Amino acid sequence: MRTLTIAAAVAMAVCSIFSFAHAEDDLDSRLNKLDSELGKQSETIREQQKTIDDLKERLNGQNTGESQTSEDNAGKLTGLFGGSLMTNPYISLVLDAKGYVSNLKNSALDSRGVPGFTTEGRGLRNGFNVDAAELLIFAPVDPYFNLYVNIPVNQDGAELEEAYFVTTSLPEGFQVKGGRFKSNTSRLNSQHPHAWDFADIPLPYRAFLDSEGSGGENGIQLTWLPPLPVYTLLGLEAFQGDNPLLFGNDPNWGPHAFSAFAKMSFDTSDNSSLLVGPWVMFGSTNSTSILPADDTAGNTLNLRGDSALYGMEAVWKWKEGIQSVTLQGEYLYLVQNGDLTASDPGGTPVSADHLKRHQDGAYIQALYRYGRWRVGARYDRLEIFDNTFDVGGVQQSFGGKPWRATGSLEFIPTEFSMIRAQFSHDRSARDGRVNNEGILQFVFTIGAHPAHTF
Amino acid sequence: MRKTLLTVCISLYLVSPAFAGINVVATLPWIGSLAKEIGRDKVSVTTLVKPSQDPHYVEAKPSMILAGRKADITMYNGLDLEIGYLPRIMESSKNPRILPGRPGNFDCSKFISVIEKQANVERSMGDVHPLGNPHYHYSAANIIRVAEGMANALAELDRANANVYRTNFKGFAARFHEKQKQWKTLNLKGKKYVAYHKLFAYLASDYGFQVIGYMEPKPGIPPSAAHIEKLIEEMKRNRSDGILVTSSHGLKEAEFLGAKTGVKVIVLPQDVGAMPGSDDWFAFMDKVMATLR
Repeated sequence: MRTLTIAAAVAMAVCSIFSFAHAEDDLDSRLNKLDSELGKQSETIREQQKTIDDLKERLNGQNTGESQTSEDNAGKLTGLFGGSLMTNPYISLVLDAKGYVSNLKNSALDSRGVPGFTTEGRGLRNGFNVDAAELLIFAPVDPYFNLYVNIPVNQDGAELEEAYFVTTSLPEGFQVKGGRFKSNTSRLNSQHPHAWDFADIPLPYRAFLDSEGSGGENGIQLTWLPPLPVYTLLGLEAFQGDNPLLFGNDPNWGPHAFSAFAKMSFDTSDNSSLLVGPWVMFGSTNSTSILPADDTAGNTLNLRGDSALYGMEAVWKWKEGIQSVTLQGEYLYLVQNGDLTASDPGGTPVSADHLKRHQDGAYIQALYRYGRWRVGARYDRLEIFDNTFDVGGVQQSFGGKPWRATGSLEFIPTEFSMIRAQFSHDRSARDGRVNNEGILQFVFTIGAHPAHTF
Repeated sequence: MRKTLLTVCISLYLVSPAFAGINVVATLPWIGSLAKEIGRDKVSVTTLVKPSQDPHYVEAKPSMILAGRKADITMYNGLDLEIGYLPRIMESSKNPRILPGRPGNFDCSKFISVIEKQANVERSMGDVHPLGNPHYHYSAANIIRVAEGMANALAELDRANANVYRTNFKGFAARFHEKQKQWKTLNLKGKKYVAYHKLFAYLASDYGFQVIGYMEPKPGIPPSAAHIEKLIEEMKRNRSDGILVTSSHGLKEAEFLGAKTGVKVIVLPQDVGAMPGSDDWFAFMDKVMATLR
């Protein structure tokens, strides 16, 4: 059998050598041919020039004063991001403002985490909220790199959420991205909040990552798009690992978060496409955000260990004329092991237990758009198939399984503005207290034209 | 073992380019049609946008990015018409051959005489294109120059077949001049039309008709009831010869307006292939001319 393999390999190699040799033989005769053809061609060009000149003359006769001559245009190059009227770099600003009403008081919202997952509160308060004015600056650096910078500004100040380069000239479909950027794992990690289909992130993201997903991280990424018949994007990432919930700052070590992902897509009809993608993020964890401080003694609980978050994204989109439908779902599964250390308010460790977590979560959503209107529905749920939260060999009980249902209505006057009304019935706090909340969201974009991603 | 070998062979086959010619990716159907005329059997053409799709609002689907990955040359309309998706396709396809400044980046608008170039614009005016009206595929005089530019670009990219492209263009030009004779007989001087979108500005300037009103209050903004009311009033005061609309966008609204005012609705194809009998650019123009006549 091995001989057969070798024979096949040799045959293949010989074949390729032959084709090269053949090419070299050809080269001389082709050169001669080209020489003679060149003469003919210049003749042709002369003829064609005459035709063009004639046409131009005719055209100039027809044209009104406002038209532009072709020479003016022909000299101009077209940039990657389009027109030349905007100065370099391209700048755009996105305002994301929200009005929020809930049956709960602000104090209850602030401390409303998802027990067994995160201590992070709701993040929105009754009344007016400006999430951010997001400043986006981008431009090609040179023929080899593009640069993107994203700085959300809010009342707490400005933050460097993303600042990264992307290579444009690597061969064979490879691309490197580096600097500070959002991971391309999963559907939503790389999406900016104003681009989400709903005003907030689905529960599994909030429970396993953060209210904005994995967030901007310092790191590097390698992606490869092989020329297969089906769109297949493969990617690897290494990050410093600052996500407070899944990884956490490590004072001793450098990069301690890694990821791998694949995205596959094909058109299911002329008007529809499907995209699916498995992914994993893994690394070492150092987090105090998983469990709240002990009520009686005030002891804080810190986890040091290893985490792996597995995920699967699936999106189907259909669009015809002014109507479109989007169906989307994701499943996330967390495996976490480590030592849970309780420290007294002074910082002295008082006890340590082994923590073992196997938990999952998912969401599904559907959106229908007709012209300038869009309606959406979403259902999120945690602990679908697994709810292992084992401290020192004892399974912890936090209460009923967290879930939430959301409905939305959007008015989209142009691609630069959007107004969204959203209502959620949220049972993620497991204490029987329901959060019925209404969000009115405004998203406006000025400046350079944004791109529409799938 | 045999299975692994088979798998390896299949994947090798899949990875190696199956078609030896030039891979052309065209954004719009008319560009694809032109590329087929000029390239013939030396090229394989993939067109990204469907004939009935609104070319202003297209999402960069992964299949388009994959097409960009395999492209030797990407041909596009330019004048910022594809600004919402083409930059994304170019960057995400990870294919340096099709980036701006390379021979594989072909902007058709570089070869045309652009009209309605705007010096001072802002988005309060709607979806205006500051670089000029991008719907020049209705303009025969411009298309012949795009076709010629295309022949030169393909010749530069594929020197071995340079003559073939130039010969194909000659054939195209000969056919064009025949057709142009017929098209030139169309006389619409003094005619006044109402249109849905600013699609027909090049036809207006070529054939001397006027577009006296638009159903869209501003480019890219769908007609409101109040705007249509006003338009009906105006159309009652000023005689108009027709309502120009495409089969893909605003047909229902145009028919409503036609019924209200008694003005006939003239349905034109939006792009090559958008209506039956408009399968290549010549047929498309024939259809436009025949409908306007």
